[in-house]
Amino acid sequence: MTTITTGLNMGGPIAPPGTPGTVDYSIAPEQVSLWQDAWRRFRRNKLSIAGMVVFLVVVVVAVISIFWTPYSIYAQGLGDVTDPLSLKHPFGLDSSGRDVLSYIMKGAQIVIEIGLLTAVITSVVGVTAGLLAGFFRGWVDTLISGITYIGYGIPALLIAFLILFVTNKPSILNVIIALSVTNWMDMARLTRGQTLALREREFVEAARATGTKDFTIMARHVLPNALGPIIVQATFLIPQAILFEAFLSFLGFGLPSPDPSWGAMVADGLNDRFLAYHTMIVPSLALLITLMAVNFIGDGLRDALDPRLKR
Amino acid sequence: MTRGTAIYAARRLVLVLGTAFLVSSVTFLVIHALPGTPFTCERNPAGCAHENLVYGLDDPLFIQYRTFMWNLVHGNLGYSYVNQGVQVTPLLLEEAKNSLILGVFALVVTIVVGLIIGVTAAVRQNSWADYALSTFVVVGYSVPSFVLATFLLILVGILLPTWGGSIGWGSAEQIPIPAIALGLPFAAIVARLVRASMLDVIRQDYVRTAWAKGLSSRVVIIRHALRNALIPVVTIGGPLVTGIITGSVVIETIFGIPGLGKEFVTSILIRDYGIVVGLYTFYAVLVGLANLAVDLIYPVLDPRISYA
Repeated sequence: MTTITTGLNMGGPIAPPGTPGTVDYSIAPEQVSLWQDAWRRFRRNKLSIAGMVVFLVVVVVAVISIFWTPYSIYAQGLGDVTDPLSLKHPFGLDSSGRDVLSYIMKGAQIVIEIGLLTAVITSVVGVTAGLLAGFFRGWVDTLISGITYIGYGIPALLIAFLILFVTNKPSILNVIIALSVTNWMDMARLTRGQTLALREREFVEAARATGTKDFTIMARHVLPNALGPIIVQATFLIPQAILFEAFLSFLGFGLPSPDPSWGAMVADGLNDRFLAYHTMIVPSLALLITLMAVNFIGDGLRDALDPRLKR
Repeated sequence: MTRGTAIYAARRLVLVLGTAFLVSSVTFLVIHALPGTPFTCERNPAGCAHENLVYGLDDPLFIQYRTFMWNLVHGNLGYSYVNQGVQVTPLLLEEAKNSLILGVFALVVTIVVGLIIGVTAAVRQNSWADYALSTFVVVGYSVPSFVLATFLLILVGILLPTWGGSIGWGSAEQIPIPAIALGLPFAAIVARLVRASMLDVIRQDYVRTAWAKGLSSRVVIIRHALRNALIPVVTIGGPLVTGIITGSVVIETIFGIPGLGKEFVTSILIRDYGIVVGLYTFYAVLVGLANLAVDLIYPVLDPRISYA
């Protein structure tokens, strides 16, 4: 008779360790997959969980704002900017007499769109370029690495402004394109490095020996093993994109005026600073809290997924 | 400087010039290929024709490009289209001086604050001081520079209403606030790196030996630990300098500092094509040279790195 003893099986009869015929699993480390292990470690990080909750709240607010905001963002003259914060207008009114809360809610939509879309587009482009460069090497690598090398010599700001200058029509799409064009290189470099190391591993050799096609090897064997650092990098792309959009809007290069960008709201608030402070403080805090939340998520993911930092 | 370093520097210099050439060509061609001219011709056709003649805008694009490149090689970045008669090169050099002053002070803030926070947090690892400083660091790299700048502006306005140190440029008291606004977010990044590498170094044998010899904690921390902990920090020197140059765009705009960053925003907003092209070229060279300088400092700080 074989009794399986585990550390968790506290209620049943436990054979003493070393009894012949028993497998004592309590001394063997529990088998967990990388992702289970990562999730377990991520969950332990209270700040990351808090960041996750805050980010989800921003997402929910963004979704709600599609259907409903307390006031229309186009409704002006609801009162005076110097009116105290009230139950009717918890975040007060701006200098055109618009409800700041409604504006912030609509702004969350832009923040989420820009953050997530940029992260996704940048990651897809960067990962593809990095995989191709690292896997095929040769002229493909020379070409892609050459582009990234030159790209690094040009500040992202210049490229982004040139794109916005040429398109001459600030829209969410143009901002996302400008951000993706300037950010894909980091992702490509990271993926290339991972791929270069992975393509020499035995399991890739085994796959190749069984006649697996190149693109299948890349998609099924290389990419999944490089996914950890890629996810971490992609997470940090979200705050970068949000920050850059706010930066562009603050300078007046972002979305045009009726579009409620938090960065543009801070700029307006700065102009109103002799009238009231809340029009500047509210969007500033919204930006700060959202960016901190995403950065905490990124930190937690890195600690959870980066094998170098394990335990 | 060894021979290897010299060759490395020369190769990098060629790359910097190549990048600058590429940037100026692309900017020039893109801007000149845009439909329409910089001058509105509807209201004043005669004046417009004159402007086009003066700036050579009637010439074929190739001729314009050739003239532009010829002037560029001679250090002449052309003329402003909006403020006529203003030469771009001396204008940018004058503005670069202001930006340099601001940038150097910002860098001092970054390094001093970053080092103090990083070392303190590492030496008192897991104490309340460490947690407080680490929280400050996350806030520091999450806060957009323009938010920090506006808060500082309001804070100064409330606390020191009579002090002229907030907006403007030209006197020494107007330097610290923009320098702090520009440098502080980067100080957070430096602090984070210093803390991590200090924690790494503090556990090394030679540091334990230094403690065992009975050296004072100041000597152990600063002379033995920090010196080696600084090496990984130098690797972000390039991005740091680029970041400060980029960051100055928003800080100079907010504080009204007549530097390159403010010019960058204004020239694009008023569509001064002449300055835009010149400024792009200037920035490409500046960032390239700054990065090269940082890379050449590495082997001085860490003899294990060499470009031979």
